[in-house]
Amino acid sequence: MTDGDYDYLIKLLALGDSGVGKTTFLYRYTDNKFNPKFITTVGIDFREKRVVYTASNANGTTTGKTFKVHLQLWDTAGQERFRSLTTAFFRDAMGFLLMFDLTSQQSFLNVRNWMSQLQANAYCENPDIVLVGNKADLADQREVQEKQAKELADKYGIPYFETSAATGVEVDKAVITLLDLVMKRMEQCVDKPPADTASGNGATKLGDAQPNEKKCAC
Amino acid sequence: CCSEMDLSLLQALERERILEVLRRDKQLRIIEEDRIRRMKCELQELRRRGAKNSARQYGERTCARCQRPLRKLWNSGAVCRGCSHRICSKCRVGVGTVGWKCTVCHAYRDVKIRSGDWFLEEKAKKFTAKTDKHETVGETLLKTYNVLSHISVVPPTPPPHLDYQFLNRSGDLKHSKPLNKSVENLMVSFTSHIRSKLSQNASSHELKCEHVNTDRPSLPNLFKKSKDSDQEGSSTGAEEETSFSSEYSGGWRGSTSSISTDCGLFESTSVTGELELRLAYNTKTSCLEITVGACRNLSYGDTKKRKCQPYIKLYVLPEKSGKMKTSVKKNTTDPVYNEVLKVKRQRFLPTRLQATVWHTGTLKRKVFLGEVLIPLDGWRFEDMDSQRFNWYPLCPKVKQKDSGLESTMSAYLILGFTHKFDQRSMVLVSV
Repeated sequence: MTDGDYDYLIKLLALGDSGVGKTTFLYRYTDNKFNPKFITTVGIDFREKRVVYTASNANGTTTGKTFKVHLQLWDTAGQERFRSLTTAFFRDAMGFLLMFDLTSQQSFLNVRNWMSQLQANAYCENPDIVLVGNKADLADQREVQEKQAKELADKYGIPYFETSAATGVEVDKAVITLLDLVMKRMEQCVDKPPADTASGNGATKLGDAQPNEKKCAC
Repeated sequence: CCSEMDLSLLQALERERILEVLRRDKQLRIIEEDRIRRMKCELQELRRRGAKNSARQYGERTCARCQRPLRKLWNSGAVCRGCSHRICSKCRVGVGTVGWKCTVCHAYRDVKIRSGDWFLEEKAKKFTAKTDKHETVGETLLKTYNVLSHISVVPPTPPPHLDYQFLNRSGDLKHSKPLNKSVENLMVSFTSHIRSKLSQNASSHELKCEHVNTDRPSLPNLFKKSKDSDQEGSSTGAEEETSFSSEYSGGWRGSTSSISTDCGLFESTSVTGELELRLAYNTKTSCLEITVGACRNLSYGDTKKRKCQPYIKLYVLPEKSGKMKTSVKKNTTDPVYNEVLKVKRQRFLPTRLQATVWHTGTLKRKVFLGEVLIPLDGWRFEDMDSQRFNWYPLCPKVKQKDSGLESTMSAYLILGFTHKFDQRSMVLVSV
């Protein structure tokens, strides 16, 4: 049961091809359980989780300040027929878990398309994204090599994680990394000098694949 | 954007699934809006306390926050980056590596982050065409499809309870009400007076605009007042000021649905606001006890005269048994009832509670102000959470194929008589 006793409501959204494991990933994250059955998501759904976030400085040391964060984790249908609906929801999310299936080369190739969908529909041109290669436990069926995925992530300047909803490996870390990015973004957005806003519009674009361009274009 | 996300292409079951998700989202949003409201109230309070008061004389060199005198040599104060006021060393708060801000500017920054306003601002930069930046896609969709759906807006599980403290605090808001109301009444009589003298003249136009402002809930007004009386403008920079106040007033309305044409079966122009209810089951008397607490932010039943005399009507559906009414409250859009209404009920019958809010107009004409449907089967009466007061967002009338249709038809007829050449009488013809 939800109450208003939290400091931040952070809305994250998982996207990616159908069957890469978005729903099971989120289920693992919120409930720490695994459901091996494939039930296709109808349009959209969301799960919630309350976490305690420890603020850290720019240099990485913790300030000791903790906040209660209420996470609303939107789950989207990967199926094409829901596309117009799901992409519309992109604009209300503050951060994105872009997922592909490590055992499906095609789902990895589609990451590029998802990136351009994000650029068009998210709240800003370069939102916070974490690239997630799921099903890392199925080592014998792997089609996407870590190096490949890492290179792509570097190209976009976003973190990359190889996760497994089945074993739970790296699941928490991927979400927390994204949360951390969003928390830092909030600070940047309010602390930037007001003069920035005028020049901000023409700033870096997500699709331009400039390495490590990660500053707020807002 | 709505045409893109046309849910009508989906199967009925799928659509219902999605709407259920959206309703869940709405519950979360209601809690969030309350949290933000509370946060902004606190900020407001802080600003008021920190503001220099025009009624008192201040020396040149006092801290703009604590009003303690500043010395010439030591503790001479420094200028805050946010509001450009001279601030003593005690009223500064460090922000990361970027230096310090005064207590009020810091609190403002904090609220901007914690309320998610930073996000809305960023989003507004990219999607400039969007009319209401507070509205999420989910909200828009839910509004569009609420009308088509037969299922209540409230899921069968008891909705999450709201922080009760807020209700106490909202008492503070009500204190400022009489003043606003009287100002408003004054404005009404004044504008009508002026308008009768001058027809469609620039000055009357101005007055109208001002009047629209008073229609908002009291807090933004209060905020504006303190801003005006604050001679030096000792709050944060002017730019921030405006964005804050505009967001604030928007925030009040954010959650409220306002479908006018789709559900304009009755004379309501828009459905806004919330209704506070508490449900309990008395096993000794086998009575369902419904406490009607209050309403807030209702729309005016009589939009022309800006009048509202609301009362609540309760029915147990589907057989529409046990009609119950509260008293009528005069001239308020935030009526407080605290009335307990009882209905004898078999506990586990599959029923729904329908609570409708009505305005009593002249000649006993009723104006629909919104409704709440609560499924009672599956309601966990033992659950402590479900026994609390809960605020329910008022929704437009749900179109019902069954019994509701007759009343709908008769409503059309009434409308047909009252508005001769109104659009709605055109609707009547087509019906």
